[in-house]
Amino acid sequence: MIGQSRVAELDMPTAAAEGAATRPAQSYWNESWERLSANRIGLAAGALIVVFAAIAIAAPLFSAVLTHFQPQSINLDITFKPPGAPNYLGTDELGRDTLTRIIWGGRVTLGVAFLTVAMSLTVGSSIGMLAGYYGKWVDDILMRIVDTVLAIPAIFLFILMSILFRPNAITLAAIIASVGWGGVARLVRGEVLSVKERDFILATRSIGARDFRLMLRHLLPNVLPVLIVSASLGVGQIILVEAALDFLGLGIQPPTPSWGNMLTNAESYFYHSFWLVIWPGIAIFATVLASNIFGNAVRDAFDPRLKSH
Amino acid sequence: MTAPLLEVQDLRTVFQTKEGIVKAVDGVSFELMPGETLGIVGESGCGKSVTAMSIMRLQRPGKIVGGKVLFKGQELTKMTEYEMREVRGKEIAMIFQDPMTSLNPVFRVGWQVSEPIRIHQGWDAKKSLASAVGMLGRVGIPSAATRARDYPHQFSGGMRQRAMIAMGLTTTPPVLIADEPTTALDVTIQAQILDLLRRVNNDFGTATILITHNLGVVAGMCERVLVMYAGKIVESGPTKDVFAHPKHPYTWSLLRSIPRLDADRHEPLKPIEGLPPHLVDLPPGCSFHPRCAFKVDRCMRDEPALLQVGETQKAACWVTQSGQELKGA
Repeated sequence: MIGQSRVAELDMPTAAAEGAATRPAQSYWNESWERLSANRIGLAAGALIVVFAAIAIAAPLFSAVLTHFQPQSINLDITFKPPGAPNYLGTDELGRDTLTRIIWGGRVTLGVAFLTVAMSLTVGSSIGMLAGYYGKWVDDILMRIVDTVLAIPAIFLFILMSILFRPNAITLAAIIASVGWGGVARLVRGEVLSVKERDFILATRSIGARDFRLMLRHLLPNVLPVLIVSASLGVGQIILVEAALDFLGLGIQPPTPSWGNMLTNAESYFYHSFWLVIWPGIAIFATVLASNIFGNAVRDAFDPRLKSH
Repeated sequence: MTAPLLEVQDLRTVFQTKEGIVKAVDGVSFELMPGETLGIVGESGCGKSVTAMSIMRLQRPGKIVGGKVLFKGQELTKMTEYEMREVRGKEIAMIFQDPMTSLNPVFRVGWQVSEPIRIHQGWDAKKSLASAVGMLGRVGIPSAATRARDYPHQFSGGMRQRAMIAMGLTTTPPVLIADEPTTALDVTIQAQILDLLRRVNNDFGTATILITHNLGVVAGMCERVLVMYAGKIVESGPTKDVFAHPKHPYTWSLLRSIPRLDADRHEPLKPIEGLPPHLVDLPPGCSFHPRCAFKVDRCMRDEPALLQVGETQKAACWVTQSGQELKGA
């Protein structure tokens, strides 16, 4: 036994050296991706969002091949039909096919959600980056603007903006993002403040890099993990906000279907046609839940320190 | 005699702090000849690093309030940020103390080492990477082409410092400033890195400013040495003369405090008594007088200038300027 362990010890250095020569480069991204793939539930949640998004994008195809209804085609002969062929998920008060409207509604709802996230991230990270990088008065001015934006009660701002700008998918995304960027800006600023003090930033400055290169090439990739986490957690929140606005009649306007505005009318018919509430409700619930689970999985994957909590 | 490559004249850099103005660099003057290795030694906080940073104009949040830095006849302190960027990395490269944090963790080493070439030569990724791989090989990274695809965390401390040196050399700048390049490394790796720096100096003719608090490093590496104390140069001269006959009590005490192999090993080390002065509240006269074993009355009143003492050295000390020898107490 003693002899064996000796041999093992002696062999180790060579084995380590060979390993060093052959092992593939392990980047931060590889590692994070590995941790994410190990999280089955998180991955399933991500897959669900991808499936929903794919269905939403292919909505015209589903209309043509699967349901044979258009989202806005009214047929008063078949109002309030319970689920069953050919209206697999039933019909509403104007005889519109619920399944078709859910699919087309997903287009709007998910579209608005992703667009909002994209807008918040772009504006928020740019502002946060500038504030964090330049500091001093730039930081003061930009962050006081953020404070102001975040101090306004969001729902009143949404109501006001919805009245001023007749909402379609793009303006609605802009309206929600007009508040959402503030949080992102704070997040990015904080991260930039900590990363820019690290030696490699000074080292990069010492090789003659411009501010632009420092921000885009060196700081941004280092704050990307926080951005990714914030994006994946943000989708669910934004879907809820958007559904609430639609439900209140301040968001996407009928007859364009969205999951939120489908609920507006459904509520009055709940006692005799409950499916009108159930299906959009499930769609919203499932997407938000999936987005939150996926967001948490992404956060755990990118920041293993948080996992124990 | 050839013209100096880099000339620092009466450089002054200050930091505005809550307690007052800190004169981190207080009238430092020296010159760097082409191809020479110049050592700057001193305790922590004596202004060595700030001097280097000021040359590169990277001293923020400090401010250069006076003096000149002449590089090939151009005044660096008067340059615009745009012009200065052309100097950084192309004409003067810098190596930092802690190689563990000096590389960006999210990029491959090869990409980072080739970055100065992309910035200054405008080469594309492929060409610059090939050049970087060549340089990594020259600084002693085994199978450089493969290792260039690694991330910094896959490199050991010594390898990262080699990579940093390679990064500094890709544009073959005439001046290399190494700010405590071996402090964060263990002793055997230190020796390797110093060896590498010596080779770089020979092969590329790069003039090197070596900042360190390790007198042994200076003895082995540098032709000339500057000793700094409290933001000022207190002694300068050829390394062997300064080490053999120090002309400033601070240098004298520093040299005496080093453990020696040939000394009686039962004798305790002789540290310099007291602490370095607070830079906001410097003592009047010579900054070193509270810790000085040779002080005379004048040291507490008047500040000595850096003047020629002996054949080759300069010292800022009233005692040696008056011709007295520093002899052990």
